Amino acid sequence: MIKLVKKDLKLFFGNKQDMMLTFALPIIFITLFSLVFGKGNTEEDNMHGIVQVVAGTSVMMLLFSVAGIGESLLNEKQEGMLKKLLCSPIPPGHILYGKMVFANIIAIIQLIIMFIFAWLVFGLDILPHLPSLILMIMATAYACSGFGIVLASFARTRQQVHGFATMIVLVMSVTGGSMIPIFFMPEIIQKIAVVTVNYWSIQGFYDIFLRYLPLSDITFLSRVFTLIMIGTSLNLIAFQMFKRNILKVA
Amino acid sequence: MLGPNGAGKTTTISIMSTLVKPNEGEVNIAGHDLKKHPLDCKKNIGVVTQEIALYNELSAFDNLLFWGSMYHVSGKELKNRIEETFDLLGLKDRKNDKVKTYSGGMKRRVNIASALLHRPKILFMDEPTVGIDPQSRNLIFEVVEKLHNEGMTIVYTTHYMEEAERLCDRIGIIDNGEIIAEGTLNELRTLGSMKETAVLTYTNLTDERYKTIAKEWNDHQRIENKINFYSRNIQGELSKIILKCNEFGLDIQHIDIQKISLETIFLSLTGKQLRDR
Repeated sequence: MIKLVKKDLKLFFGNKQDMMLTFALPIIFITLFSLVFGKGNTEEDNMHGIVQVVAGTSVMMLLFSVAGIGESLLNEKQEGMLKKLLCSPIPPGHILYGKMVFANIIAIIQLIIMFIFAWLVFGLDILPHLPSLILMIMATAYACSGFGIVLASFARTRQQVHGFATMIVLVMSVTGGSMIPIFFMPEIIQKIAVVTVNYWSIQGFYDIFLRYLPLSDITFLSRVFTLIMIGTSLNLIAFQMFKRNILKVA
Repeated sequence: MLGPNGAGKTTTISIMSTLVKPNEGEVNIAGHDLKKHPLDCKKNIGVVTQEIALYNELSAFDNLLFWGSMYHVSGKELKNRIEETFDLLGLKDRKNDKVKTYSGGMKRRVNIASALLHRPKILFMDEPTVGIDPQSRNLIFEVVEKLHNEGMTIVYTTHYMEEAERLCDRIGIIDNGEIIAEGTLNELRTLGSMKETAVLTYTNLTDERYKTIAKEWNDHQRIENKINFYSRNIQGELSKIILKCNEFGLDIQHIDIQKISLETIFLSLTGKQLRDR
């Protein structure tokens, strides 16, 4: 499985377009949105805007990135690599686990880069909250990577993943608070928001940077737990769908 | 396995390479039952798929490193095998170039190389020469022959007669999901009522002379100044035919021997020609 992950990492870091979309584009968006929304009347308003922009945009862009990783699974199916892998003595499940691990690694790196960028450029004070931030980044990455894989497991072609991903990520981002803070939303949307990864993740980042909740706080931990549960559920669904759809290659 | 598109060649390969579960029947790979011990079967087979299953953004060397590692070959041993395989397939000069810069024929060769690194006992090749240049095709033929001479069993699917004739010890003719004939080329030639033909062209074939020789030979046909003589072993009969012609004063201008080809066999067995040639 490690070899599968290594191969995916090599492909990823050798592809300038993937690097641009995963790391440079979110930074551009965060910069632009911060210039617009990060200027409040008070220092507190400013920080609120920055946290909203960094957390919201990072999660939204992360969902697009992991959908791209899901696409690569379909690509391997369409181009015959999956068939060849299934003929080899590696257990079929390792192909999916490999993608999951790869998606997690990329998601963690992406989120770390976004928060380091926010720290260096916008002065987001991440150092006092490092343990909580790392935990939330890992939980968010886990939940989001599950989304990318489950999407790939449902779709039949790469193009389908692309279409579904754009639609679902945008809907989740609007309802989950990535684009507009959730407290500006109508009550019904706020209720729907709880089914999105964006909501739990953004609330978790709020807990760290705006509510200053400690790592041991039950509210914060409940959000981490919810994200882990979402990720686990998505991965379990993906595994079942993988067996049913993706493995039918011949 | 020779058969037209849709005959079931790829499905058969897919079953034997564990991709598709068979509805019925048994498959044994290198002494292992496919249903009971699929992993043992997988270790003993190499599969050259119809698709060029390579990562275009990786170099040929990195592709082979990856595919070799999937068969648990690693370290120095893998690198040595990769070098040997590049030598075998004439790819050494460009091994560090990304696969996306390769021609179709070169990609096909790397695709074959990726199935050889774990030294399989049985190699499945599913139409490995589709859409490539003659030079690459010949190189692939040479590699297949070399591997075969070294003792590897190769199951090769094609719908090109000349490939089957050149490469295969035993040929299975497959159509509509069933093997309708199987054997060596010579064995297949003896199937049914197929006969070889000697076409003799004369300078002085008259009705009188034709009648004389027709009495001596049952299975024949006259077409203008030619006579087609039919026999299961025409080469063995040819000297007799020539002697008789001399005896009756027939002046032979040209002799054409038409042996039974796979094309004729296929036509005779299936009643149709191979499609999409």
